Amino acid sequence: MYYPEPISKLIDSFTKLPGIGPKTAVRLAFFVLNMKEDDVLDFAKSLVSAKRELTHCTVCGHITDQDPCAICQDETRDSSLICVVQDPKDVIAMEKMKDFSGRYHVLHGAISPMDGIGPEDINVPSLLNRLKDEEVEELILATNPNIEGEATAMYISRLVKPSGIHITRIAHGLPMGGDLEYADEVTLSKALEGRREL
Amino acid sequence: MNFLFDKIEGIIIRTQDYGETHKIVTLFSKEKGKVAAIARGAKKTKSRMAAITQPFVHGTFLMQIGSGLGSLQQGEVISSFRKIREDIVKTAYASYLAELTEKIFDEKIPDQFFYQQFMATLQAITDEKDPEIVTMMYELKLYKKAGFAPMLHQCAICEGNNTLQAFSVKEGGLICQRCVSSDPESVVLSSTLVKLLQVFADVNVERIGNISIKVENKKILQQLMETYYEQYGGFFIKSKKFLKQLDLFT
Repeated sequence: MYYPEPISKLIDSFTKLPGIGPKTAVRLAFFVLNMKEDDVLDFAKSLVSAKRELTHCTVCGHITDQDPCAICQDETRDSSLICVVQDPKDVIAMEKMKDFSGRYHVLHGAISPMDGIGPEDINVPSLLNRLKDEEVEELILATNPNIEGEATAMYISRLVKPSGIHITRIAHGLPMGGDLEYADEVTLSKALEGRREL
Repeated sequence: MNFLFDKIEGIIIRTQDYGETHKIVTLFSKEKGKVAAIARGAKKTKSRMAAITQPFVHGTFLMQIGSGLGSLQQGEVISSFRKIREDIVKTAYASYLAELTEKIFDEKIPDQFFYQQFMATLQAITDEKDPEIVTMMYELKLYKKAGFAPMLHQCAICEGNNTLQAFSVKEGGLICQRCVSSDPESVVLSSTLVKLLQVFADVNVERIGNISIKVENKKILQQLMETYYEQYGGFFIKSKKFLKQLDLFT
């Protein structure tokens, strides 16, 4: 190899990250060499602690360092309202909004006929158990508005509907700041379908 | 000024996320056959390409097609096959057909007939025709294209024209009453089922009216097709696994 072993190992490690090619990996590795030792140690510790200390909440499936997670432990939140999302990152996005005071359920994926991912491969059984145990009045299906997300929402609604729980789907349509002129037919028709009275 | 771009009519048969905001889409097109292209920024919420880069969107696409991966510039929806996207069973069948098509066709070799058949099959699924039947019809035609179609008009063993009576996966097609004993694993079929297999392979999807087949007969044909594909197909179809789980949805 052209590089001494420690740096070549570091380059190899960086290339394992998504979107990092060999050139970028070399650049990052050399940047690390020029960092202060304390910063490098902090960086390394953060990597290890993120991996070791984070688990999935046994109630909602969100990533957490305490079980149950802070959201599930929060007594002030409305436990009769559960928002179903695909990914822990979706919980963060919803929390940033600061408008939702219910609880979450993270599926860790979506049903994808094209990729052969079926209902058994995502976190649905624990949702069904939650619906049995907790007094849930409304289930908001906030999966992504694409084929996979729609398929997942359809599946969950078919499963849950007989229990009488109110099931809702997040609205689809024009984004804030969007332009009607440039919206495509699918988005426009969804927006029109979901119109509401003012 | 469009000399750098090709305007093609096609349908999205596969999408794949690429980086933070891009997508790689595979189109099955009328003019160019199967083409893959990068749709830059298609994952952004406000992207004009977000909706047109969804699977089963049929439209006209403006793209740069080079020797490698093309680049999708714009698109206009002709039909989004909404009924398929809003029904999980239909989505499952359409996904299977799209994946099979994607696997079997080579890039940039146009095939008008198959483009038409694929569109007709999706339309038939949309129009509430039995998805299992139209899937079998399309599959049989695709197997022919791929070079592993079963022999359905003469005996796969003696090549004679005696009455065909059974399906032999080992011999690769229907076999006659004289040859049945040569393959003890062959499945004996009624004359109706033999005729149905032949019709499925020969008749174009858009020509079928309302065919109804007894559930048990459909099961027999499906099982045969599945075993036959496992023996000769060669491609692993991920969406097949999902199709097998479909009873979870009904």
